[in-house]
Amino acid sequence: MSAAPGNELRIIGFLCNWCSYGGADTAGVGRMTQPTDLRIIRVPCSGRIDPLFVLKALVNGADGVLVSGCHPRDCHYAEGNFYARRRLEVLKRFLQVLGIDERRFEYTWVSASEGQRWQEVVQKFTERIHELGPAPKITPDQMAMAETMAAQPR
Amino acid sequence: MKIGVFICHCGSNIAGTVDVAKVAEEVGKLPDVAYSTDTMYACSEPGQEGIIQAIKDHNLDGVVVASCTPRMHEPTFRRTVERAGLNRYMFEMANIREHVSWIGKDKESNTQKAVDLASIAVAKLTQDRPLIAKKFGVNKRVMVIGGGVAGIQAALDCADGGLEVVLVEKTATIGGKMAKLDKTFPTVDCSSCILGPKMVDVAQHPNITLYANAEVDSVKGYVGNFEVAVKKKATYVDWTACTGCGLCTEKCPSKKATDYFNEKIATTTAISIAFPQAIPKKASIDPEYCIKITKDKCGVCEKLCPTKAIRYDMQDETVIEPVGAIIAATGYDLFDYTRYGEYGGGRYPDVITSLQYERILSASGPMAGHIKRPSDGKEPKNVVFVQCVGSRDKSVDRPYCSGFCCMYTAKQAIQTKDHLPDSQTYVFYMDIRAPGKMYDEFTRRAMEEYGARYIRGRVAMIYPKGDKYIVRGADTLAGTQVEVEADLVVLAVGAEAAKGASNLAEKLRISYDKYGFYMESHVKLRPVETNTAGVFLAGSCQGPKDIPSSVAQGSAAASKVLGLFSKDELESDPQVASVDIKRCVGCGKCIETCPFGAIEETDFRGEPKANVIETVCQGCGVCTSTCPQGAIQLQHFTDNQILAEVNALCQQPLVTSFE
Amino acid sequence: MELLDQLKEKIKERLPELDVVIGWEQGFDPLHATPLFMRTEEDVDRLVFSPLCVHNLASHLTGLKGKKVGIVVKGCDSRSVVELLQEKLLVREDVTVFGLPCTGVVSLKKIKHALGGLDKVASAEFNGNELKVSAAGAARVLPLNEIAADKCGRCQYHNALLSDVFVGAPVEAAAEDNYADVEAFQAKSPQEQAAYWRDAMQRCLRCYACRNACPMCVCRDHCVAQSREPHWMTQQDTVQEKWFFQMIHALHLAGRCTECGECERACPVGIPLLLLKRKINKEIKELFDYQAGTKIDATPPLLSFKVEEENINERGW
Repeated sequence: MSAAPGNELRIIGFLCNWCSYGGADTAGVGRMTQPTDLRIIRVPCSGRIDPLFVLKALVNGADGVLVSGCHPRDCHYAEGNFYARRRLEVLKRFLQVLGIDERRFEYTWVSASEGQRWQEVVQKFTERIHELGPAPKITPDQMAMAETMAAQPR
Repeated sequence: MKIGVFICHCGSNIAGTVDVAKVAEEVGKLPDVAYSTDTMYACSEPGQEGIIQAIKDHNLDGVVVASCTPRMHEPTFRRTVERAGLNRYMFEMANIREHVSWIGKDKESNTQKAVDLASIAVAKLTQDRPLIAKKFGVNKRVMVIGGGVAGIQAALDCADGGLEVVLVEKTATIGGKMAKLDKTFPTVDCSSCILGPKMVDVAQHPNITLYANAEVDSVKGYVGNFEVAVKKKATYVDWTACTGCGLCTEKCPSKKATDYFNEKIATTTAISIAFPQAIPKKASIDPEYCIKITKDKCGVCEKLCPTKAIRYDMQDETVIEPVGAIIAATGYDLFDYTRYGEYGGGRYPDVITSLQYERILSASGPMAGHIKRPSDGKEPKNVVFVQCVGSRDKSVDRPYCSGFCCMYTAKQAIQTKDHLPDSQTYVFYMDIRAPGKMYDEFTRRAMEEYGARYIRGRVAMIYPKGDKYIVRGADTLAGTQVEVEADLVVLAVGAEAAKGASNLAEKLRISYDKYGFYMESHVKLRPVETNTAGVFLAGSCQGPKDIPSSVAQGSAAASKVLGLFSKDELESDPQVASVDIKRCVGCGKCIETCPFGAIEETDFRGEPKANVIETVCQGCGVCTSTCPQGAIQLQHFTDNQILAEVNALCQQPLVTSFE
Repeated sequence: MELLDQLKEKIKERLPELDVVIGWEQGFDPLHATPLFMRTEEDVDRLVFSPLCVHNLASHLTGLKGKKVGIVVKGCDSRSVVELLQEKLLVREDVTVFGLPCTGVVSLKKIKHALGGLDKVASAEFNGNELKVSAAGAARVLPLNEIAADKCGRCQYHNALLSDVFVGAPVEAAAEDNYADVEAFQAKSPQEQAAYWRDAMQRCLRCYACRNACPMCVCRDHCVAQSREPHWMTQQDTVQEKWFFQMIHALHLAGRCTECGECERACPVGIPLLLLKRKINKEIKELFDYQAGTKIDATPPLLSFKVEEENINERGW
């Protein structure tokens, strides 16, 4: 189930406090075993998630980022997830030109009662990230190559 | 900064699959951590004392506790650090139980994950600032939505406690499902004899305003200061004039109107009073059947009415009620048994629901308490009860137990025998669930004293044969197929969330589960609270409940409201947005997106700036992620705080262009 | 009367009631135009208008807040003015817009490439669809379509969308924009794209010319790239930080960018920055059928929502 120690990938989750964080709690209370790669950051609402947090994580070495909020219509703050849905959709499509595989980012809705759904989401997303493998890192070698290229007359 | 870190064992809950000592050691190496230790139960008294002592001994600026979910104990530990003289927001929690130890078995991975989670908590704490709560006034009025027994109890308890209560009921009378019952288990006492006086109390209580035939339209505001728009649906009768004499209902020529109170087993007049004990006892017109409204003829009631109360041109009306708290007591509705094609799907007149049977049994019902078949009016001899219709059945997406059906079925079997001594009852059941005081004894009486024949097994099929029905099912104890000839079949239909419950939940901003039942704040410890401050639950809207439990919850919710209103002022959550006036360019994007209208434009030295109305702000942070300048920051979830967490997790080795 | 003379006349008419009117004048050589701030009639006489007037003068508007400002705009520039007004970053009464029809501007980068350099330009004259340049003693004739800015080839708004005074005859043509450039880049693999941006960001000087040229970058001194509250970026000169800055810029412009291309034009190291913004615009057009800077009273898509989104399918997550 969980990746062998040392084989874990860096997956960051941004979860709204009221629904998805609660759903993850519900999964925990139900002892629903999940892969261990995910690290959860709690925010009040998916509407609080600036897409730039996601990019910040992806640029700086996260292998995957998962955002989860309340189901549309069921936001604790009435409308936050509606804004989030638009912003995160634009973000996901933006990745298509950034050279970051868009499959490394996903957003979803999990309510506080849906422990099992949360387990499935974590399972599925973690599997996907493991299929993609570690995100390409910028290494000094690549930098040296880029520099050589930059030095060439164009 | 000097941070103290406490890694909780939670007995073996965490320590069983996380090397807590190792976590404490690793986190202790972080630059801002001055003290790091593991502790057996952080939330216990010695655990909390240990934290307080460490704050004093090591002169700590902030504390991280890595234990269970912050949704559980964050308030506990905030009080702890406050007792030690720290600001309560100089505290962070890492969830290493629900999110680590309980969901992973590999100790090494779990330990590393716990280290990471504690590290991001430390990272966030380095960015935390003390926050001070502000106080605001409370409107000590409460709204109860739903006038069933739970809502009635809640309303009466609140009113007796001195609060002004607004009770909103969807139908024309309060009483809910209980008012439709003939008798109640396990005492077989008359339902209206015990509920009736309570309903009268509601009508007469000086502190209760009752809106029957009304629904909640919208909810604005926040704990202490809600504004609820209530839509009073047109009844076409001026209730201030109507005396409930009933003359109109006697003479109304339109007699085919749907009788919802009698569960559609009879019809009623277009102008009607639901039942003799209705509260309020006022007539209302069903416009679908009123000849005057549909065809502009008749007008008999208008001519007859001694108080001239009839108003054919009445319109819906909306009233705004300011309240400080809301109790949702919207109850349940019956599962639609017509989804079971094998039980006739509603085609057989003598296959009826348990609630219809209650109306047949009731002395004030359409059959005046004589058990007769709806089809031909004959007295039935064999009455078959089928349990778990729409309960414990995954095939119709109702896997849960409705809880009270076993009991009322036993009661109905007993009543059948009382009414018709020559009758024979059969009960098809899956398991008998009778875990209440005197409950199991009661079901045994049904079998032993009243001769109800209990057959353990599901019914596969019901089909007509002559003027009778054949009920075919399994007897799993005998291991055989059985067929029972029935004159009347009563389906013990399960409970589901009331129609429109999810819609109301969205207005109240509370959660509901996939079946539409409202989510309590904590399954065990906060059963009548919701996650929205100031909104409470009572009765079956939270899950199917029998009368004693509903009444208990009504009182519990009332006590929560009374407790909340025992203070004249509430503390506002200081986790609200705050504007850096230097950065604000006054574009108003935050004003546009705020779901609560909590941001206004102000003038600062001739420049437009955003200003947060702190008591209105709910702390969602949509504004913060809207503002490109980062000029408006949600306190305790600022960009810097979240960035600190991201940075703690994602630190790539630096690659500069200069290498 | 020539368009330029008409324009000068109109500006002179309105000048007494305005603090300043922004237009273009010849810069340090005949190929370069530069912004002109006109306060007197003599200033107005220096005004020029030709395909060399590449600057989007709307970038200066928010810096002149509180003054009565006139501005000369091409079709594309006018979108920036519309967007600024829509975002309440300008007061309508304070701005007088002199709108022009435009058939396209040049790309100095393309001219430089064609000429092999931009030194010692003695003259530059437009003649029909050609530009005649004499530089370093040699004369060259360049067809306009070879040196036109990329954005002009897909221009949908040749005429100023908003003007208090419109001068000249409106241009009838309007091209379709099928985002072919974005599609082409998107066709590359993530690895190729990543390598491309790594190379580009390695060249980035972090000079912020892109930001300073952007008419929609209104934060100015409070840009999150250089602040500590909030502290989105460090001052380290790493590829990641520079790349992240471009992501910030693009996302802060999501639903706001009018595609004037000033970011890309201003970039001294030739990074195709407009591509990032155009990608987002493409998606916003597809998702919400919205184009920034076309209507003052429009509702920006990222500041609103629909309960049921027609075009967002959450892919079963």
